[in-house]
Amino acid sequence: MSTKAQVTITKAVGGFLASSIVLVTGTLLLVRFGPGNMGKGFAVGGAAALIVFAFAVWRVARRPTDASSFERSFTGVGDERDRRVAEKASAVVGLVSIPATGVAAVAVAMEASADVVLAVLLFGLIAVAVVSEIGAARRSSS
Amino acid sequence: MRNEIRRLREERGLSQASLGTALEVSRQTVNSLETGRYDPSLPLAFTIARYFGLTIEEIFHVD
Repeated sequence: MSTKAQVTITKAVGGFLASSIVLVTGTLLLVRFGPGNMGKGFAVGGAAALIVFAFAVWRVARRPTDASSFERSFTGVGDERDRRVAEKASAVVGLVSIPATGVAAVAVAMEASADVVLAVLLFGLIAVAVVSEIGAARRSSS
Repeated sequence: MRNEIRRLREERGLSQASLGTALEVSRQTVNSLETGRYDPSLPLAFTIARYFGLTIEEIFHVD
């Protein structure tokens, strides 16, 4: 195993442990004090993110040249282009989130189910993040 | 911005991956640089110039 791969794994294990602590603590607090199924939802969402993170670390450590820009950025080993792609994708999500939140607020005010609106908003923004990351990585423009 | 990275790399018999390793960037970044789809930061431009033993102006040209 190369030194770079060892550094990647060491950093990733640290990040994984820290994230796991946040996940467990947050889940316990939300199960105890949160409304409805918020604790369960937090646990499932957090666990999914950790699984994606672990998969990305495995791909980056195994063969960095085949990993995607997102995987390198997500695991903290991206170069300047990877960081720029992530910044562009984040900027798109930020821009879209403002009108999307407004539309969601209007929908709730018009008596749409808040649970459904929040779910659509969350998954919609995740979809925007994925599409904008792929688009920015393909264009790679500066 | 155009650049001479592909020519310089091929003259030295390097692959994109090995040049990427030397410059501490990914193979995809080297490819994006060569095709002109990504303009490097000033520090990376200096690193590239030093690696090839040339000046930035000898490698990068404004269209």
